[in-house]
Amino acid sequence: MPHAQEVKEIIQALVKAKKNLRIYPENNPVYARIVDDIHARITSVLEYTGELSLKIRQHDIFFDGESVYHGDGKEENLALFFFKDGVRELTFNKGLPRNEMEDFLGILAVDFDREALDDDIVTLMWEKDFRFIHYMVDDSILLEDETYEERAVEEAKKASQDNEGILQAYREASSIEAGPVTHVVPITDADLDHMIREIEEDTDDKSIKLIHLLFEMLSQVGDTAEYAELAGFIGSALDFAVRHGNLDAAVYTLEKIDKETAGDGCENEVRARLEDLKRFMCSDDFVSGIAEVLDEGTEFDEALLQRFASLLDSDAIPSFIHVLGELRSAQARRAVISILSELGRKDIQSVARGLQDRRWYVVRNIICILRQIGDATAVEHLVRAVRHPDKRVKKEAIRTLGVMGTADVLHVLNECISDEDELVRLTAVRAVGLIGTPLSKKILLDRVADRGFRDKTFNEKREFFEVLSRWRDDDVVALMIRALKRRTIFKRAKNTETRAAAAHGLGMTGSADALEPLMKLKNAKNRLLRDNVQAAIKRITGEREKRS
Amino acid sequence: MRERSEVDLRLAGKTIINQLGVVLRTGQIHDIDNVAVVDAVDKFIRLVNPVIEAEGLLKIDVIGEFFYINDSRVRYPLEYMLNFDYLLREFQRRELGTVVFGARLETDEIKTFLRVFMSSAYSGTPYDAMEASLEECTNIRIDRLKKITEDGDMDQKKIVKKTYFNAVSFTESVMNRVKAGEKVNMKVAKRVVESMVDLILSEEQLLVGMTAIKDYDEYTYHHSVNVSVLSIAMGQKIGLSRKALTELGLVALFHDIGKMEIPKEILNKPSAFTEEEWSIIRRHPYLGARVLLKLKGFDRTSIRSAVVAFEHHLHYDYSGYPEVRNPVKLDFYTRIITIADQYDAMTSSRVYARVPLAPDRALRIIMERSGSELDPVLCKFFTNMIGVYPVGSLVLLDTREMGLVYECNPLFADRPRVMIIVDGNGRMTEGVIADLTERDTEGRYLKSIVKTLDPNRYRLNLAKYLL
Repeated sequence: MPHAQEVKEIIQALVKAKKNLRIYPENNPVYARIVDDIHARITSVLEYTGELSLKIRQHDIFFDGESVYHGDGKEENLALFFFKDGVRELTFNKGLPRNEMEDFLGILAVDFDREALDDDIVTLMWEKDFRFIHYMVDDSILLEDETYEERAVEEAKKASQDNEGILQAYREASSIEAGPVTHVVPITDADLDHMIREIEEDTDDKSIKLIHLLFEMLSQVGDTAEYAELAGFIGSALDFAVRHGNLDAAVYTLEKIDKETAGDGCENEVRARLEDLKRFMCSDDFVSGIAEVLDEGTEFDEALLQRFASLLDSDAIPSFIHVLGELRSAQARRAVISILSELGRKDIQSVARGLQDRRWYVVRNIICILRQIGDATAVEHLVRAVRHPDKRVKKEAIRTLGVMGTADVLHVLNECISDEDELVRLTAVRAVGLIGTPLSKKILLDRVADRGFRDKTFNEKREFFEVLSRWRDDDVVALMIRALKRRTIFKRAKNTETRAAAAHGLGMTGSADALEPLMKLKNAKNRLLRDNVQAAIKRITGEREKRS
Repeated sequence: MRERSEVDLRLAGKTIINQLGVVLRTGQIHDIDNVAVVDAVDKFIRLVNPVIEAEGLLKIDVIGEFFYINDSRVRYPLEYMLNFDYLLREFQRRELGTVVFGARLETDEIKTFLRVFMSSAYSGTPYDAMEASLEECTNIRIDRLKKITEDGDMDQKKIVKKTYFNAVSFTESVMNRVKAGEKVNMKVAKRVVESMVDLILSEEQLLVGMTAIKDYDEYTYHHSVNVSVLSIAMGQKIGLSRKALTELGLVALFHDIGKMEIPKEILNKPSAFTEEEWSIIRRHPYLGARVLLKLKGFDRTSIRSAVVAFEHHLHYDYSGYPEVRNPVKLDFYTRIITIADQYDAMTSSRVYARVPLAPDRALRIIMERSGSELDPVLCKFFTNMIGVYPVGSLVLLDTREMGLVYECNPLFADRPRVMIIVDGNGRMTEGVIADLTERDTEGRYLKSIVKTLDPNRYRLNLAKYLL
């Protein structure tokens, strides 16, 4: 028998754990230490006693007839915590494993005042199906009418027949012909397999089924209030489903709405309620539900996201843009971008309005979305975005203009080539090259011919030559050869950088004409020049060999 | 190490029992040295020896209808059901209650056990034959099957009655609250159903037996609880988890809640319904779904309850009501609950159908509806659970005694426990319980059922005997 003091200490440790476990997440080392400590205390007692049994009363916990805990009031009263749900005795048995202890402490730490649970302590313990923690429960607290059993039994028995009925049955029994006997068909392996499949396929979430039935009900009622109520139920079922990661329910509902409202057969009242429902699916409330599950790590199939967005009204765009800035995970943002890219095809202007968002990262995402949509009408908005104060946004807008733009935007990009930020300039050079018109070439050639070109960094000069190399025209090759051969007295280092960048460009053109001047420099003393020349020769000859 | 083995034992238990079933079944078909038998024995040894090493011994007990390994009850897994049932039947036939393997097992020891087990089937006293043959085998000890004492039965019966009536009382209060537009305490609902699940897992027959008594005034409340009990029992049979059984029980409890919305004067009308009244009655699935969705916020249970309430009269072949434009496969729980619902309704006296059917007659109708109104595979499970002679059946025995089926025997569907109410000389008796699986020394059954009678025809009050 353990000393009462030892048990008192265990109870105090449980009281502390009840508070502290609420503070720390389960993966926190402090949480694990609390569990370890209590587990060690209890198992050390169980080691020599076999069991530890506690009697629970409203304000006290008794061990071996002695109070080992007393708590007044309602708050933080450990005895009352168990007592109020009917637990009257709690017994820990030898062999108590740590995981069972942890589960028990997890229940102890539940804040029933804050968490809206349908389960009480007894249900939570019951669901854990403990093997080493036993409890005795007084179920009479559940009853509103304690005399029910007595009354029902009395009432059932008072209808008792006299013995004559039984004896009559006995007398007639021998003359009555034996009726057919129901043969119990044995259960086969195939039946068991069938049932295992049924159980496996029986999903937890029945929202789609309910939504289906609610649509059936909608078609059966004829009362305005009922229409509204049923549509409200569909909305709630949908909200529940989506908040539990079931986007299929949303797709199913949207498809159902489209089907129901497609023909003339749909009553106006039903049509109006279904349109309300569709509006609900565009609301901040609904969309934030999707955002929450995405942020919790739920992954949706890309095709499902696309299907969902294709069915949804474009009115949902502002709500999705709003949540785009709130999401914490990159994966969730990718999913919302995917939805907006699909939705945006229906209303590019609504997506473009997102460019005015005060959050730079949202603006950058909107630019990505516009690029994915690829609608030319977005170009005018992108041109404005190029002037965004944040250079990350600026770069994204320039890149997008390169992908989507025409010669009309070259003047804007040309301005960007003069930007004070080198990365912005490099992006602009690439964008100009991507547009690829004669004017693009002219802009780049003019820049290279400019006196100030020599003073740019090697990286930037190389970018110019590399972009120019896409044309492979004689005039481009000639310009690069000239730059390669050019020797100067002043600023020789800068000139060598230009020559090295030109060598790189020539290599990218693959032009045979470039081989001779390059060969002459293949043993150049300057390492930067030599490396770029040798790489260019290798590239050109390699390409030629491949062709031959 | 000990903790680990105890946790693993829970999982290993069902595999060990299953494998013992495989060993014995294979041994019944093949010669003991056949490769199939040897493989099965080796696998059994591989499963058992680690447990013996960790626990010091391995003890298999049969208590009631359950296996226990080292005093831990082994769950009844659906995938192993045939082997479990086979093994249980064979143990009971031999009155074998306990087998203890004391130390690491060798192949020859299991082969000996197998040989002794098989040959004992031909003895008039199989347990004694086994005990004598195993005397030399010091590593294997057996014990006789213990009968559950009547005292224990009585205590359990009290608990079962209390649980059953708690559930009815709770159902009444729920229905009244729904009518009054008040909130329903789902915590209490769960607790009530959890108690029923516990009893189904330990005292299935006693609780199912409670559903046979139909002499109450409040049909709807008792019917709801009966459907819940029968559904949980069926769910248990098909291998649902405890948590799933609770959900099934809750959903079943609320399946008829829509009836609260039907005017009482229609519901309690003693004469036949008019077409208009029928159309109102037929709205109760729809009304039930609505009530359940308004009862509390949306969660998995409320959603499923609403689905089942709407579907429970639709029928497997969609021949029922309410009419639906686009039928989709009925929910799994709906298909279970529909069978329980139909069976209980048929065997109950309702205001509009005063004369209930005899349980065996109702069972025949259930089988007739299998594949049309009712799911055929689930019907099989239901009839296996209820037995050829359901609790409450009035039967005449070949000893010229008359009795009431008191408890079914899931392993011997045609050999239930019968409460004798008239002896062989035609005199009323005080309800002695006879187990129809009992045999004489030559292996012949002591008593067998020769025919059934309709208890309703003779106004038999089951409550007097079964409560």
